[in-house]
Amino acid sequence: MSTAAGAPAPRADGDPPAPSTGVAQPQGRNTGELVMAVLLAALGVYLLVDAGAIAVPGSSNTVGPRFFPYAVGALTVLTGTVLALRVLRGDRGPSDDSEDVDPDAPTDWRAVAVIAVAFLAHALLINVVGWPLAVALMFAAVAWALGAVGVVRPFAIGLLVSCVVWIVFVKALNVALPGGTVLEFLTDWL
Amino acid sequence: MALDSLLGGFADALTPVNLVFALLGVLLGTAVGVLPGIGPAMTVALLLPATYVLEPTSALIMFAGIYYGGMYGGSTTSILLNTPGESSSIMTALEGNKMAKAGRGSAALATAAIGSFVAGTIATLLLALVAPTVVELAIGITAADYFALAVIAFVAVATVLGSSPLRGLAALCLGLYLGLVGTDVLSGQERFTLGVPQLSDGIDVVVVAVALFAVGEALFVAARLRRGAVQVINHKGSWMTREDFRRSWKPWLRGTAFGFPFGTLPAGGAEIPTFLSYATERKLTKHPEQFGKGAIEGVAGPEAANNAAAAGVLVPLLTLGIPTSATAAIILAAFQGYGIQPGPTLLTTEGPLVWALIASLLIGNAMLLVLNLPLVGVWVKLLLIPRPYLYAGILMFASLGSFAVNADPLDLVLLLLLGLLGFVMRRYGWPVAPAVIGLILGPIAETNLRRALAISDGDLGVLVDTWFSRIVLGLALVALVGPIVLRLVRGPRATPEEVQQTGALQHPVPAGRDRGEEDR
Repeated sequence: MSTAAGAPAPRADGDPPAPSTGVAQPQGRNTGELVMAVLLAALGVYLLVDAGAIAVPGSSNTVGPRFFPYAVGALTVLTGTVLALRVLRGDRGPSDDSEDVDPDAPTDWRAVAVIAVAFLAHALLINVVGWPLAVALMFAAVAWALGAVGVVRPFAIGLLVSCVVWIVFVKALNVALPGGTVLEFLTDWL
Repeated sequence: MALDSLLGGFADALTPVNLVFALLGVLLGTAVGVLPGIGPAMTVALLLPATYVLEPTSALIMFAGIYYGGMYGGSTTSILLNTPGESSSIMTALEGNKMAKAGRGSAALATAAIGSFVAGTIATLLLALVAPTVVELAIGITAADYFALAVIAFVAVATVLGSSPLRGLAALCLGLYLGLVGTDVLSGQERFTLGVPQLSDGIDVVVVAVALFAVGEALFVAARLRRGAVQVINHKGSWMTREDFRRSWKPWLRGTAFGFPFGTLPAGGAEIPTFLSYATERKLTKHPEQFGKGAIEGVAGPEAANNAAAAGVLVPLLTLGIPTSATAAIILAAFQGYGIQPGPTLLTTEGPLVWALIASLLIGNAMLLVLNLPLVGVWVKLLLIPRPYLYAGILMFASLGSFAVNADPLDLVLLLLLGLLGFVMRRYGWPVAPAVIGLILGPIAETNLRRALAISDGDLGVLVDTWFSRIVLGLALVALVGPIVLRLVRGPRATPEEVQQTGALQHPVPAGRDRGEEDR
C-alpha cells in the first residue's frame, strides 16, 4: 500500500512527487492564460458596449438598468488588462490540485475533446432516445476516454445506473425526465 | 429566547419523517463528499436537485445533513487517500495521511470525526445564540449598508482567500457577468440575453455551480488523470487511546475558536482558520518532533476549525443573506429556489424553518459521529471506485441535476460551455468560488445599490452616509489595495502557505514555490 512515514520533508514518502506545475510547460501556460485575460477584457468591452443598448424605461428617474452593467464592464476591462500585463511579465497562477490529478502529466486534449463531444451529443439525444440511454452512451464514452477497459462493460454499467436513477427520480420523486419509449413502456405499471 | 426557539426547532426536526430526511442527507452527503475530487461545494451542488421535490422544511433538513456530511466525507478522503486534496482539508491531509501510513489511520479518523462533532456542535450552538443578536443589529441597516456588505464579500472572496488576488477578481467578474444575464428585476428590461429566449429568465445558479464545479472538475481531471491503481491507505490500527484523547481535546476547542469567527466574517471560508489552527498546535504541542510525521494535534485542530467555520458561514448567510463561501452561495440558491430570501427578516418570517434547520444541523452532526466510524469500511470502498467510472458518473449526475431544473436540453449545452470555462479557469489557477459568489450576490448587490440611489436621487454620497457603510467599504478598500501595497513594499504578498513556510512548517504542496520569482 504505502511506505511508512519518512522524514518530515514534504512528500518524502516516495509516492507521487509533489506537484510541480509551475515548472512544466511554462510557455503553453502563459499563452493560454494571456488569451484568457484578453478574452476577459473583451468581455468587459462587450458589457460596456451592450449596456448602452439596454432600453431604459422612461419612468426610471434615477439609476436604471444600465448603471451596474457599466460598473461591472469597467471592472472587467480593468481586471482583464492588468491580468494580461502581469501574465506577459511572467506571472503564473497557482496550480489547482485534485486528488486524482497527476501534476506532471501533459494535458490530454483528446480526452477533453471526447468528453465535450459526448456530452454535447447526449444533450441533443435526450429528447430523441430518452435520458437513460443518452446518458449511458455519454457515460460509456467518458469512461472510455478516461481509460476504462472495453466498451460493453462501461455502457452496461452506465445503462444500469441511469435506469435505476431514472426510476427513482421519475417514479418516486416525480421529476420530469424523458425515459425513452422502451423504458417508459416497461415501467408503465409503476 | 434563542433557546426556546431552538427547542421548537428540535420539535420540528425530530419528527420521524424529518429524521429520515436528516439521515438520508447525512448519508448522501458523506458518500458524495468522500469521493475524491468532490469538495463540499460540489457535493451540495450535485445533490441540490434531490431536494427539489420536497417541501421546504424537509428539503432544508436534508440539505443540512448534506452540508455537514460533505465536510465529514472530505476529511476521510484526505486521511486515507494517498494524494493531496482540496485546500481546506490539506492540513488534515498532511498529518492524517502520515498517521495513517504509520498504522494509526483509525486514530486519525476518530480524532477528525470527534473533533468535527465537537466543533460542529459548539459552533452550531453559537450560531443559534448569535443569529438573533445579529438580526437585531441588522434590522436597521440601510440598502447602502447592504451594498457595502456585498462589496466586502466580493473583495474578500476574490482577493483574501485565493493566493492570486487578480485571478480572484477575474473570476468574480465572470460571475458578475453571468449574474447580469437575464431580465432586470427592477425595470423588466432584458440584458445580455443575445436574443435567446431561454436566457431571459437568467442563468440558473444550479447550472452554473454544477458546471464550474462538477463538469469543470471532471474535464480538469480527465486532462491529467493520475493513471494506475488507486492507492488507499489501510485504515486499520487501534482506536484513539487515552493519550490521544488527552492530546486532542484542547486542539478541538482551539480549532473551534479559530474556525467559528473566521467563518462568520465576510472573509470567511475554512482555509485561513485551518492554517492558523495548525500553526498554533505546532507551537503549543509537547511533541513538536511529531509534526510532519503524523501528530494527532495536527489532525484534531484543523479538522475542528474546518467544521466550526462551516457553521460560522451560516451566520452571515441566515442573518444577512450574504454568502461568504461557494457552498454558502449554493445554499442561498436553494433557499431562493423555495421563494425564501435569507436576510434580516428571515428569522421573523420563516422562524420555525430556520430553527428546524439549526436543530437538524445538530442532529445531523450527532448522526455523523455515530455513523461515520462504523461505516468507514463502506467509505473506503467508495474511494476505490475506478476513476473512469467515477468521473463518468459525476457527469451523469451533473446532467440529471441541470436537466431536471427546466427539462431543456439547452441547459445542458450551457452546462457544457460553462464546464469548459470552469476547466480553463482551473487550468490557469483562477479560483471558481468568486464566480459562484458573484453570480448569486451580484443581483443582490445591484438591487440594494439602486434602491439606495433611488432614495438619494442618484447621489452617490448615500453609499457612505452611515458609519457602518464607511467602515465596511473602508475595510473592503484595504482588502483590495492592501495586497498590492504590500507587494510593492515587501515583495509578493504572504499567503497562508508562506506564513506556514516561514514558520518552518511543512506543507505537502509547496504553493509558494514560484511566487518568489513572480516579479522577475
